[in-house]
Amino acid sequence: MSEHTTILVTGVTGTWGVRVAARLCKAGGLHVIGLDREPPEKDIEGLDFVQADVRNPLLVELLKAERVDTVCHLEFAETAQPSEAAFDLNVMGTTKVLGACAEAGVRKAVLRSSTAVYGARPSNAAFLTEEHALRGSKRSGTIRDLLEIETFCDGFRQRSPHLMLTTLRFASIVGPTVDTPMTRFLKAPWAPSLLGFDPRMQVIHEDDVVEALAQAILRDVPGPVNVAAEDVLPLNKIRGLASKPPIAVLHLLAYWSQNLLASTPRWGSDASPFEPDYLRYPWVADLRRMREELSFVPHYTAEDTLHEFAEWQHAAPFQVGPFSTARDEERLRDQIEQRQRDRSQEAVTGPSAEDGGDHE
Amino acid sequence: MSSEEMGGAVTGVEPTDMEATPKADTTAASEEIRQELVAELDGLIRRLRAITPDYEPPRYSRHRFVAMVEESLQKLPRNVQLDVLDRLRTAFNEQWFDPDTWKGVWYMVNYTVKYNADLVQRRFTGEYDTDEWGVDWEFLDVARPFFTFLYKVYWRVRATGIEHIPIQGRTLLVANHSGQLPWDGTMIATAVMSDHAAQRLVRTLYSDWVPRVPFISAWMVRIGQTLATKDNGVRLLEQDELVAVFPEGHKGIGKLYRDRYQLARFDQGDFVQMALEAQAPIIPVSVVGAEETYVTLAKSATGAKMAGTPYFPISLTFPWLGLLGLVPLPTRWYIDFGEPIVLDGYGPDAAQNLVLVSQLSDQVRNTIQEMIHGRLAQRPSVFF
Repeated sequence: MSEHTTILVTGVTGTWGVRVAARLCKAGGLHVIGLDREPPEKDIEGLDFVQADVRNPLLVELLKAERVDTVCHLEFAETAQPSEAAFDLNVMGTTKVLGACAEAGVRKAVLRSSTAVYGARPSNAAFLTEEHALRGSKRSGTIRDLLEIETFCDGFRQRSPHLMLTTLRFASIVGPTVDTPMTRFLKAPWAPSLLGFDPRMQVIHEDDVVEALAQAILRDVPGPVNVAAEDVLPLNKIRGLASKPPIAVLHLLAYWSQNLLASTPRWGSDASPFEPDYLRYPWVADLRRMREELSFVPHYTAEDTLHEFAEWQHAAPFQVGPFSTARDEERLRDQIEQRQRDRSQEAVTGPSAEDGGDHE
Repeated sequence: MSSEEMGGAVTGVEPTDMEATPKADTTAASEEIRQELVAELDGLIRRLRAITPDYEPPRYSRHRFVAMVEESLQKLPRNVQLDVLDRLRTAFNEQWFDPDTWKGVWYMVNYTVKYNADLVQRRFTGEYDTDEWGVDWEFLDVARPFFTFLYKVYWRVRATGIEHIPIQGRTLLVANHSGQLPWDGTMIATAVMSDHAAQRLVRTLYSDWVPRVPFISAWMVRIGQTLATKDNGVRLLEQDELVAVFPEGHKGIGKLYRDRYQLARFDQGDFVQMALEAQAPIIPVSVVGAEETYVTLAKSATGAKMAGTPYFPISLTFPWLGLLGLVPLPTRWYIDFGEPIVLDGYGPDAAQNLVLVSQLSDQVRNTIQEMIHGRLAQRPSVFF
């Protein structure tokens, strides 16, 4: 990657766009263009912001004019209930962005998806590979839209083989600052698990999501890749680690109340963050491609992620830092060692060519 | 559990034969027993200290001891309480122990109580280890006595040929399936767990009906079982695990009594493909005795539809006696592990050779059928 490599990040004011753009700008040596309808609240140093909607037909012209190499498409609206507005932004937006990429001769596009697209089924293998059929639930807005996007991508790969299309399918994202179904589930004391069911589950730390996206932008890995922390934990253990009270209901009751809530749209958004199937059956992804092809190793294990999450939860009411001194010390030691390693490596190889020597 | 052990620890120090011993020659005999007891306790304490170096029991005092006895007693039924107290009193009256022994008992009992309380607490705070398949060793330890009881006492299982299972390395056990409920899988696992030199954990593959059932699904995963798919089997074998499959599936386990010990069709030969892909030897296993645990006269399609189960047996006891009808009969079981069938001669591509796969599948099926007939011919009776 050189100074001339231009990367366009859509949805740059969103949770992930902001972080990925900041991460890429910090990496140095890249021209990062951010695209969104509104300018970001806080300026990102080095970001070249363009104000536009992803569905704008002139996007092709922008991509051509800026000679964009890679598009990281992160514009996505999460919705519990299927909604037409969200569908238009998510699915139609993605088809338009990918169409523009193909027309403008963009080399690569990176998308964010979820392992929930595999669906939770009793017949699921213990580890679902990327080739597994996508049988996700169509009742959740987010999953339905992701399924549509993934199906479109499948066809798109055949039609436009020149565009390298990478889809990162993330496990349940957990972290102190993000709002995802899993964090909502863990934060809501009333959100029940199902009596007598304890499916194995995967999570991924929010920082690792950003790192994995950056890795996918900087490395060429065509096709879908599952991304999750390496350890697989039973749901009860996740609940315990996150200090969520052990509340469980009979699964029949959960299905019944889900149907009831779904039939009354006004309450629909109050339904449990996960559909009963996703708390009942396993939907654990196989991580071979993540390790071997994306060469990505998550920094946080699932256990660390949940410990950290629990600490933030405890700390929140007091408005103090998320604190465990031991963990903080450990983290700082890691960072110091990492820096020493970097410095000694730099001493051996000299300042690396790719960051142009203007690092630090 | 804690109270039981606590009772055990306290009442255990009180030998009942003491009352039978004439008072005159107690001095020498009791001194000897006392020394033995002290030595045994010291040994136990040393072992516990080695396991948990940072555990420090509260300081010993007579008042605290009595308080703890009282606290623990409250967990027991009233008549047991009285019995324990009675025994304790005789033990004290006999002036049997010196303070050191009581300190030892104090340590042991405290440790047991603390350990069990910790165990329960840790279950709620998520501080226990599971592997990527969800095996939960603590849960396994809790479940094991129940299966050992079934294995040793209830079905009095006789296992032969268990030495054919290697100490380590990938192996595929292929067994006949019978008995309406998958007790046969648990007994094969218990046989290996208790009688095999390496006490290996058997990873049994179950049908896709199991994940739908509350509690059973969670427990099955915790004791090392997983769904029967080819991917799961190959992955487990490649991790050098000991895997067990029942290729007959529902057709085998839901057999009628009149069809007992006639092997059903083996599905597709997926298990052969697993073994070929992972280059694992196959060990045929025959289970005799499980067929008679329920006398199934018929199967009801309507019942299966209503209960949402793959089959619905009508047996002598079920559904007439309700859940009680699911209590299996205490037959005598034989589990025979056959000679390993080594597949090293074929390359990993052989898994795609469907002719070979079906040949091998038939070979395994015939071997198991012969083993069953051989065992049936020798068996003196169903129950003894």
